[in-house]
Amino acid sequence: MRLLEALILALAFAGAAAAGPPAPLDPPALAAAVAAGELPPAALRLPSDPLVGGFETLGRTTGRSGGTLRILLPKDKDVRLLNVWGYARLVGYDENFELRPDILSAVEVKDGRVFTLRLRRGHKWSDGAPFTAEDFRYYWEDIANNPALTPAGVPEELLVDGRPPAVSFPDDATVIYAWEAPNPRFLALLAQAREPYIYRPAHYLKRFHEAYGEAADIAALVAAEKVKGWAALHNRRDSMYDNDNADMPSLQPFLIEPGGGPLYRFRRNPYFHRLDPYGMQLPYIDAVEATVVEPGLIGAKTAAGDSDLQARGLSFADTAALKSARGKGGFRVLLWPVTKGAQVALYPNLTAADPVWRALMRDRRFRQALSAAIDRDDINATLFFGLATPGNNTALKESPLYDPARTAREAVFDLARANALLDEIGLTQRGADGLRLLPDGRKLEILVETSGESAEETAILELVAPAWKKAGIGLLVRPYERSVLRNRAYAGESVMTVWSGFENGVPRPAASPDELAPVRQDMLCWPRWGQYVQTKGQSGEAVDLPEARRLLELYAAWVASPDDAARAAIWTEMLDIHAAEQFTIGTVSGVLQPVVVSNALRNVPENGVFGWEPGAQFGIYRIDALWLDR
Amino acid sequence: MNPASPERDGDPPHWADATPFDPRPLPVATAGAGGSFGRFWRRFRRHRLAHAAFWLLAVLYLVVVPFAEFIAPYGRDQRFPDAGHHPPQAVRLWGDDGLALPFVYPAAGTVDLDAMRRIYAEDRSRPQTLRFFCAGEPYRLLGLVETRARLFCAAEGGTVFLFGADALGRDLFSRVVFGARISLTVGLIGVAISFTLGVLFGSLAGFFGGWTDWTILRLVELLRSLPELPLWLALSAAIPATWPALSVFVGITVILGLLDWPGLALGVRAKVMQLREEDYAVAAAMMGASPRRILFRHLLPNFSSHLIASVTLAVPAMILGETALSFLGLGIREPLVSWGVLLNDAQDFSALSIYPWLLLPVVPVIVTVFAFNVLGDGLRDAADPYVQG
Repeated sequence: MRLLEALILALAFAGAAAAGPPAPLDPPALAAAVAAGELPPAALRLPSDPLVGGFETLGRTTGRSGGTLRILLPKDKDVRLLNVWGYARLVGYDENFELRPDILSAVEVKDGRVFTLRLRRGHKWSDGAPFTAEDFRYYWEDIANNPALTPAGVPEELLVDGRPPAVSFPDDATVIYAWEAPNPRFLALLAQAREPYIYRPAHYLKRFHEAYGEAADIAALVAAEKVKGWAALHNRRDSMYDNDNADMPSLQPFLIEPGGGPLYRFRRNPYFHRLDPYGMQLPYIDAVEATVVEPGLIGAKTAAGDSDLQARGLSFADTAALKSARGKGGFRVLLWPVTKGAQVALYPNLTAADPVWRALMRDRRFRQALSAAIDRDDINATLFFGLATPGNNTALKESPLYDPARTAREAVFDLARANALLDEIGLTQRGADGLRLLPDGRKLEILVETSGESAEETAILELVAPAWKKAGIGLLVRPYERSVLRNRAYAGESVMTVWSGFENGVPRPAASPDELAPVRQDMLCWPRWGQYVQTKGQSGEAVDLPEARRLLELYAAWVASPDDAARAAIWTEMLDIHAAEQFTIGTVSGVLQPVVVSNALRNVPENGVFGWEPGAQFGIYRIDALWLDR
Repeated sequence: MNPASPERDGDPPHWADATPFDPRPLPVATAGAGGSFGRFWRRFRRHRLAHAAFWLLAVLYLVVVPFAEFIAPYGRDQRFPDAGHHPPQAVRLWGDDGLALPFVYPAAGTVDLDAMRRIYAEDRSRPQTLRFFCAGEPYRLLGLVETRARLFCAAEGGTVFLFGADALGRDLFSRVVFGARISLTVGLIGVAISFTLGVLFGSLAGFFGGWTDWTILRLVELLRSLPELPLWLALSAAIPATWPALSVFVGITVILGLLDWPGLALGVRAKVMQLREEDYAVAAAMMGASPRRILFRHLLPNFSSHLIASVTLAVPAMILGETALSFLGLGIREPLVSWGVLLNDAQDFSALSIYPWLLLPVVPVIVTVFAFNVLGDGLRDAADPYVQG
């Protein structure tokens, strides 16, 4: 616990060191509004202790305010990504994956269980209303603990040992979350790409809340919008993440403008709390224009120079075509390694409903045989020019928990071994086409379900299939729409799914190992076990495999462990179990993600990494610090 | 012998033919040599384009489809791991030393990490002469005879990629040849199904009329009012994924055939309605011929030329249908290849900008569809009695 405390104190100190900021300056785009008296001057818009800095360590330059950033999105729902890339969080990761206070001025942690969150004095929502402890109280008392708005009760991620924290609000700028036992997940939770938002704009939402709003107004709105009741109305208005309510006040750098697609406009948040070293209010960029285009057209439109910053919808296979267009399109192509545990991984469903398949998938030797029958070097050479890393779905080189032996363990191409393992299981009967037969006489043909969204997955499966065939295993691919795919896995209908590997391939000991233990139903290798834990035993199945139970114990131990050394030991054991057991079957990792950056766009690091959690993709590189030199 | 009636006084002389009555008709005078088919063929041959299309399709169906393994230099799934996105190699006859046997220049591939692609440098110093009737990967000819014989192969240790290679280093020309097998058969089988259904329902409706006609017409209208592509999509999505690729192929063919007959049925119905009022049909009915006999013996032969033409024109619709479905990822599935499956790869914008040869499978689609259309035109003209010839 002491290490964490030290870390947090350091964070608090870093926050304090930012005191004595330069006098805030008005961005030119807002000067007219300020002069006309429509907006207060910068000094009154920003908190008294705004967030400054980060520029020196990043090798960034201070820039010119103004301009419009153009981006392309493959679907309308992706407008939410502006809230991910904007990455204004209570505490957030910096580009070295260290946690730092951001919206908060400081966090103090006592015994790993009492968290005192300190707000910046004078911080304001994007509509100018003050951002205070009341917004936290409103979330905690009137949303999280209101059975109409949150029927399932306080979110599981805020519980420790099934018990919620005691939350108190001593003054306007202080919030205290206190659990009975240590909660090492809390700060990382607040820093997630998709965080739980433990604060909401109370001044805006109260008018839709039964306890505060005018009953007649609410009833009129409910009738006008034909929703079920006030709770549905409130939920519709309360959109911290989805970016589908232009009236919702925000703390993010960019605010969505009213109106629908395919061209979505975002304008700068005039009350954003960050400054550059000279006092210029961020973001530098005045507006973002996000155009929704067919996923298949993103590459072509990016190559034509229609995007200033593009990674969404592009994959490594597009790099050559993008690079050949870079002169004409006026952009450069950066290649950032993806921080997933594996670019593409196969998830044998250990909780499949079919008893024959379930027994087979639970047999360690079967999973090992599947892994040994994949020629990862061939995949790497054919599709990634040898630039990726063949091996397991596990911690990458960039992680302190990296172990090269673990990456290669059970992941070496060896058909003889694969065949020997399958024979040993007793799958010796073969059909006319050379495929092995299941104990009940069916063909050993694995139906791999895919979302069909990634050409990379398809190409990799095309390379896996012939090698598996040599081991007597058939591979069929079936695309399903994303949500259907997940629901089939949750219900145990699928036998194997293909998806990307662990989100966090660069774990530090303090990061939660929840992807490694059967505690989440969205881990496709054991959805029903995860369901059991998440629903506290109401649905799903209890974990009944010794190795998986061990992972569960280790996860509990991690939550209760006092320091990083102990956590690192737990992480190591969990990663080792995964490599030995092949609960997920990795292919290659460290694939390069093309990031197309307009020649005019500044402050995008040449050598970044690309990841969702942690990282929020562009989030840790702070899109509010980007500027356009044109 | 003479059946003439006895003469009576006062009656005028009565003459009767002494030869016995033969109920069969006089032999029809055949117009020129070879009968009606001969006349048809002569007229057809005058349509030069259609004639060429006929032979082209004959080669495709009688040579390429059954002997794909022999014509393709490589196997369908044979990969060259170092030849990803290998550009097409031109077959040359003119080298440094003048005229030579057909040869290609080899190309050495290196990964250019700045451009992030494989660059192939043609090595003009080492022309590689192609071999003919040579040994390649073993296969079963017509599914029966194990052999290694190929029409042509690369020089020992060399490669020949006439259409280039795809991302995984598979020869595109060989895959186009194997794709022809699926794509062309889909057309034929599909049309056979739709032909059978179309003729059956069309003639039933036209011949019997009444409620039979009404029911069939409503069915036809229903099928024709359904949007084509979404219906295909829905039906092919209903094919279980666990089916082997071959059954999926059959399923797709049946779906295409089952949805294509209404047009033909309407044509057949109209013709039957018109012809059943003709004197010979009425006469046949009077003489107690069964409806089946009237339909298939008397009526159908009278518009068979029309049928042949519409069937020929229906094949390309089938081929395009299969191509569209596979292009969208809902038709034929890997590892089977059809032209649509190959074109699926060309959706990628890289194909358009730096790997244009991935679009080559579109050429056989265009050629085949064009050939069928020209052939159908020629057949119709040749069979049309109002066209002088």
